Amino acid sequence: MRKIKFGILSFAHIHAWNYAQVLKKLESAELVAIFDDDKERLARASSAYNVKDTYLNYHDLLKRDDIDAVIVTSENARHKEHVIAAAERNKHVIVEKPIATNLRDADEIISAAKKYGIKLQVAFVMRYHDASLHIKELIDKGDLGKILSIMSTNHGKYPGGWFGDPDLAGGGAIMDHTVHVADLMRWYTGDEVEEVYAVTGLNIRNYLKVEDVGLISLKFKRGIIGSIDCSWSRPDTWPIWGDVYMAVYGSEGYAIVDAFISNVTLVKEGKPLEWRYFGPDADLNMIEDFIKAIKEDREPRATGYDGRQALEIALAAYDSIRKGEIVKLPLS
Amino acid sequence: MEKLKVALIGAGFMGGIHIARWSIVGNAEVTAVVDINEERARRLAREYNVKSFYKNYKDVLKEDKIDVVDVCTPTYTHKEIAVESMEHGKHVIVEKPIALRLKDADEMIKASERNHVKFMVAHCLRFWPEYVAAKEIVDSGELGEPRIVRAYRQSPFPDWAPWHNEIKLGGGVFIDMSIHDIDFLRWAIGEVNEVYARGGVLRRRNATAYDYVHAVLKFSNGAVGYVEGSWIMPKTFPFTTYLEIVGNMGILKVDNHTTSSVKVFTEEKAFDYTFVYKDAYYEELNLFTRSIIEDAQPPISGLEARKTLEVVLAAVKSIMENKPVKLPLKGDIL
Repeated sequence: MRKIKFGILSFAHIHAWNYAQVLKKLESAELVAIFDDDKERLARASSAYNVKDTYLNYHDLLKRDDIDAVIVTSENARHKEHVIAAAERNKHVIVEKPIATNLRDADEIISAAKKYGIKLQVAFVMRYHDASLHIKELIDKGDLGKILSIMSTNHGKYPGGWFGDPDLAGGGAIMDHTVHVADLMRWYTGDEVEEVYAVTGLNIRNYLKVEDVGLISLKFKRGIIGSIDCSWSRPDTWPIWGDVYMAVYGSEGYAIVDAFISNVTLVKEGKPLEWRYFGPDADLNMIEDFIKAIKEDREPRATGYDGRQALEIALAAYDSIRKGEIVKLPLS
Repeated sequence: MEKLKVALIGAGFMGGIHIARWSIVGNAEVTAVVDINEERARRLAREYNVKSFYKNYKDVLKEDKIDVVDVCTPTYTHKEIAVESMEHGKHVIVEKPIALRLKDADEMIKASERNHVKFMVAHCLRFWPEYVAAKEIVDSGELGEPRIVRAYRQSPFPDWAPWHNEIKLGGGVFIDMSIHDIDFLRWAIGEVNEVYARGGVLRRRNATAYDYVHAVLKFSNGAVGYVEGSWIMPKTFPFTTYLEIVGNMGILKVDNHTTSSVKVFTEEKAFDYTFVYKDAYYEELNLFTRSIIEDAQPPISGLEARKTLEVVLAAVKSIMENKPVKLPLKGDIL
């Protein structure tokens, strides 16, 4: 069967490097071209993944007829520009989360995808992690009864670079880490959020221009309660990058997803303790499914709309912090 | 020196825990057990070789030889028993929560001052080894300034005490159980100035008491916190606690299962247990005894307990009104 040919638009986001690795691994995919406007980073990616066709101008990459799909892993605020340009060239798109930094951009992305008839997948990789998938199936079978509340954390370290630039990232920890677990909550409950309350406090890292602390309390339309801790509250010396933790309280049972707890403990002389992950590869599962979605001409598991709805929750959190009160969705 | 004579009032779950520790506190002994269920009082008294047992606590207060009253009764009875004991010149230790209303707490504090007796509220986390260790780490400055904290406490519904079903009798999960975490966080992190909470009667049938609450806290020092209390766990779920404190220089976390030094599995049951260097309940009762003997301040004052109560009441108010509640609290909630 024919391989799906991929391009990657920018290695600004750290996940670009993971996706490139997956593309090299997959039989069904081929990474044929990469773009980055940072010359040095482009050269590094080119040699890391042995990709000869490199572009400093993404339009030149998108002009190529042999490319079927692109992965957009540029800075959050540049997603719109890149996704729409790709859609106009009829490339299918995986866009990194958050889909954009504001709802207008998100809506324009969704419209462009629709207009040009491309597949648009938002990189909610947690929908493809076996642990979160297992609990989704448990919920759908009714094993937990009616969902009453979901407590979640998506902790991380400070990712550095443009993640600290409010213009490029659209915010700090809340923009970066709300959407994965917010998306899982929407997916698990099959419901939309109605109310958001959020706080931030003094920063852990006082030199940052964006917030690294955030707590969000949610209520879904059918009354389910939720909470998200999206803080970059792990120091650089923490043994792993962070966590995705979901505690699901049901009327008939209780279940926990601790998606990145499967690690080997490793200690090297003079180095901080390390947890080396051996759990499932959600990135690989996602890209494999995206390829299938293209071949079978069906919607990807996490659509542009899902990306928009999760983004709205993060934006509502900022709104709540500004106002010091509960914010109702949809945002006007 | 003659031992202080203690009357234990309430021979239920906490009464059983306390009497076991009183039996090893050197300078005190339980000489009377009281319970409105006389048979329960008799049974506990006999188990610990205590000669007298009573049905009505008023009868034991008349006895001059009682020095200390340990109130382990349901929360809604705390004020009446504590105040009356103090009016009889008894030193009083009362289980948490101090009461369900701030004006009740105030009356208790005033009664202790008026009668010049020692008064302490048994917030056991202040003696609980992992929490003491966490507090010491925070105080040492190793974490820098506190920024974000998380604390959970999860258990099946406390079926052994039916009064927990009623919000006006027990207060619900946040007032009764999360009060531990709130008191600890006030002690270790600082004062709370705003609370937003969600929750309700999510699972328990025919109850008015909230069985699940999560609260988002703002501290005066700029830190924020997430506290969750759950009584909606399945019956098979082992009582679980979790604490995480992040400062601008580091992070600590601890829970009650990862630390277990003993894990036992049989065909009938599975359990794990963390052995510690010092039992929290013993420490609590021993230090209260010492404060009486040395005529010193007890380790946890009525005022401290009142401030903690104020925060948990603010959470309940926040749920009732669905908006953030600033402290200090005006008026009572329940």
